[in-house]
Amino acid sequence: MGPSGSGKSTLLHTLAGLDTLTEGSVYIGETELGSLKDRDLTILRREEVGFIFQTFNLIPTLNAQENILLPLSIAGVKPDQEWYGKVVDAVGLSDRLDHRPSELSGGQQQRVAAARALVSKPAIVFADEPSGNLDSVASGELLDFMRTAVREFDQTIVMVTHDPIAASYSDRIIFLDDGDIVDEMTDPTPDSILEQMKHLGA
Amino acid sequence: MLRAAIKGVFANKMRLSLTAFAIVIGVAFVAASFVFTDTISARFDALLDTSATGVDVYVRPAPPETGDTFQNAEFGSIPEDTIDSVLTTPGVRIAEGGVVGFAQIVNKEGEAVGGQGPPTLGYSWSIDRSLSPVTIRDGNGRGPEIAGEVVIDANSANGNNLSVGDTITVLTIGAPEEFLLVGIASFGESDSLAGATLAMFTLDEAQRLFGLEGRFSAISVAAESGVTPEELAANISTTTNGDIEVVTAEESNDEQLEAISEGLGFLNIALLAFAAVAVFVGAFIISNTFRIIVAQRTKELALLRAIGATGRQVTWMVVIEALIVGFVASVIGIGVGVLLAIGLGAAMNAFGLNMPEGPLTLLPRTVIVGMAVGLIVTVVSALLPARKAARIPPVAAMNEELARPKRRSLHVRAVVGSITVGLGIAALLVGLFTSVNGGIWFVAIGALVFFLGVSIIAPLAAGPVATVLGWPLPRMFGVAGQLAQDNTRRQPRRTASTASALMIGVALVVFVAVFGASIKSSISSSVTDTFPGDFSVQSTNFAVGVSPTFTEEVRSLSEIGNVSTLKIGSAVVEGSNTTIVAVDPETITTVTSIDVSAGAFESLAETDGVLVLESVMNENGWSVGDSIVIVYPQDPGGPIEIAGTITSTNFGDFIITQSSYAVGFSNSTDYYVFANSADGVAIVDARAAIDGVAADYPNVKVQNKSELIADAEAQIDQMLVLFTGLLFLAIIIAVLGITNTLALAIIERTREIGLLRAVGMVQRQVRRMIRWEAVIIALFGAVMGVGVGLFLGWAVVRALADEGLGSFAVPMGQIVILVLLAGVAGVIAAIYPSWKASRLNILDAIAYE
Repeated sequence: MGPSGSGKSTLLHTLAGLDTLTEGSVYIGETELGSLKDRDLTILRREEVGFIFQTFNLIPTLNAQENILLPLSIAGVKPDQEWYGKVVDAVGLSDRLDHRPSELSGGQQQRVAAARALVSKPAIVFADEPSGNLDSVASGELLDFMRTAVREFDQTIVMVTHDPIAASYSDRIIFLDDGDIVDEMTDPTPDSILEQMKHLGA
Repeated sequence: MLRAAIKGVFANKMRLSLTAFAIVIGVAFVAASFVFTDTISARFDALLDTSATGVDVYVRPAPPETGDTFQNAEFGSIPEDTIDSVLTTPGVRIAEGGVVGFAQIVNKEGEAVGGQGPPTLGYSWSIDRSLSPVTIRDGNGRGPEIAGEVVIDANSANGNNLSVGDTITVLTIGAPEEFLLVGIASFGESDSLAGATLAMFTLDEAQRLFGLEGRFSAISVAAESGVTPEELAANISTTTNGDIEVVTAEESNDEQLEAISEGLGFLNIALLAFAAVAVFVGAFIISNTFRIIVAQRTKELALLRAIGATGRQVTWMVVIEALIVGFVASVIGIGVGVLLAIGLGAAMNAFGLNMPEGPLTLLPRTVIVGMAVGLIVTVVSALLPARKAARIPPVAAMNEELARPKRRSLHVRAVVGSITVGLGIAALLVGLFTSVNGGIWFVAIGALVFFLGVSIIAPLAAGPVATVLGWPLPRMFGVAGQLAQDNTRRQPRRTASTASALMIGVALVVFVAVFGASIKSSISSSVTDTFPGDFSVQSTNFAVGVSPTFTEEVRSLSEIGNVSTLKIGSAVVEGSNTTIVAVDPETITTVTSIDVSAGAFESLAETDGVLVLESVMNENGWSVGDSIVIVYPQDPGGPIEIAGTITSTNFGDFIITQSSYAVGFSNSTDYYVFANSADGVAIVDARAAIDGVAADYPNVKVQNKSELIADAEAQIDQMLVLFTGLLFLAIIIAVLGITNTLALAIIERTREIGLLRAVGMVQRQVRRMIRWEAVIIALFGAVMGVGVGLFLGWAVVRALADEGLGSFAVPMGQIVILVLLAGVAGVIAAIYPSWKASRLNILDAIAYE
């Protein structure tokens, strides 16, 4: 968490291999990202990283199922049907799989994106303000699913947000300001986060 | 608003410059056509002006009513003694008679020089050099003084390594003869008179060679000082009589200029036709580009509306952008056109059609027309997108979702498109199958409307066609293939109008291919049907036929049996200028099979009448036994009896006897000589004998049936290659259109491509996705083009069935190759956009606003 301009998104992008570092290094598993060529980095993103963006998460010409399976189809890999079924059930979209993004609500679109992030069993999922554009109900559904993914599927998720309620779904919060880590919190609640933020702001 | 428009142009430099290319090409063709013809007439004007300074008036035979003496080697003449009355006319300082006729130089390799373009002429050498445009520079010899001497033009001499002192053969209408080359002639600064090859002899020699003993082709007259050419001409008119005409040198020059520009007219028409095609194809691309740009700038335009710009102002802004693009493209186009004209001149020189030297002529008219064409086409094409821009609601500035125009139903489009197609086809058919005035315009405009109609309907087909054409893609390339296919279906209007631009070029190429194949197949069947003989002989010289001396020599060969000839010329039949054919009715049936009514040739021989094509008879309501009036170039002619009907179209509309022809025409050469081997003589022996005679006549070609067909086909192939080559330009413009559409689409899909890259699509897959989208669009255009082209070809071939185009042939191989090439063109079109897409910065692509 952190205020606008604190470097949250930049950190996320460099961690995820979308942006390159000017100094320092990033490891995903055993792999150091800085040494990778574009092609290897792309393949690493496809196999080891899942993404949920704030908006425009889905390819408009593909239906929900195709969007969920996108990283696997790009790789030309057959999906693990059992795992796919589990994810789709958990995300609660079994009956909307043949719908195009334009036929889904914002919340449903974000949940499709979340399912896509999980389907390739990545080492880590990065979520950049995933609920930023959603109302509280849809936001709750999405965050519940993300929490389920962590609890039941042992999925690591790194999320950037400035919403204390969204942040309260996490196990551990790192506070950023001006590009520096300024604080850290485990087992947060909305109230404790708000308290902490007031403190930081002052 | 103006400032916003200018900024808009700069912000869209790349896409607009691709668009402008189409305009540049179109305007360049328009400008080239004008610059080229203006330059040539200006140069000839200067040349003729300086070259005829010594002559004030020409006295010459009254022109034949058929006009056009150039084409059919008709040289009129007047009696030699006309000069006596000219010389005694007041105001005449000098007068000298001369003759002109056919003469073709043979080079050291034994080949006839020229003859496939500019005329090959022979002249008498004037005694008074002030009356001739011809000069001999120092060191280039002298004029002919006795029989057996010749002077030739410097261009022919240089091009064939001929120099003074050489003995050269010159072909005339008689037997080939050898002459001593005594001089090499120039024309002022120029080595050649528009590429014509010239051979000049003493007057007596020239009169003998051209069969004009005791006659002159013209008398050149110079006036005493103080007498104007007009006064002199008037004086001579009163003192001379007979079938003559007196013209001033200026009038004669003007006539020659007119004849030259008429001769170049076909080139002008061809250039303007290609300009029209380029501009038409360009219009699609411009319209498409502006539509996409307007769609992409929805937010920006809506913001303008939100801060108070009226819809009309937004429209104006887009129109002004179009004006700026059109202006810049037109200026460049005119520049390119000038270069094109220079290139064209160089190409003509390379083909031996030498143009006089001189400056390039760029008239204000050329600039005005070129600019007008470029500006009007650009603005008209941008008009619809500009109107659309005005309908963007201000609220779109806040929320793009709200701004999406509701998908208008394609039903309206289907109806409008069908009606347009119907109108186009109707106009085409009226132009082709009825004898309406200006039929060619009906055909041209009909084809244009037809193209438009097809392009209006095309979006309806885009989805299904992409489904079919793109079917293998997901199976071959997985998700990249699937996305490529999906993207083509996404905006059917855009896909369709991009493909439509390609359709036009492909349709025209297919049309030309079908037309050419049909002519070729008709030729081979008509040759097979009408020429049962063993050998056919023709002249390689476009302007003159086979020497009658050659024909006599062939006739006297013991290895050769029946020989008969065909002569042709222009005559005025019942008031209209027509080509007529002359045969010897006694022998013609032994070497050809012309389909005629029973007993027609016997009756023709008996009456010395005329045979008329059945359809011409019906059209005019004539019947056998009627008399019609035919006027010949050298004879006023008169009523002549219709002796029978011709029932096949291969020999023209009118056939007369060669005895009538001898009276009516001065040209004694044979257009075709047909010969059979004598009974019991092997074909090879007969061939050897006839080839032996032909060896002395380098301007004749002896052919058997299959050589004749192959030769005709080769000539058609040459034309096809030329036309197809130029039409490929239209295809190149359309391919740039695909590049443009894709480049614009990629800008629209930046975030989508960024997302794909983020979730793991490698660059190669991105390129593949764009490439196959381009291939589908290209194939879509090619498939439509093949359909439209086949229809056009079929309609035109059917319409010309009466003119001897009997069979409709489809060159399947060529069409398949063309479609494959279109696919390759798609790959090429995608090179830039796919590279661009694969290099998109992922962060920029996924960044939020």
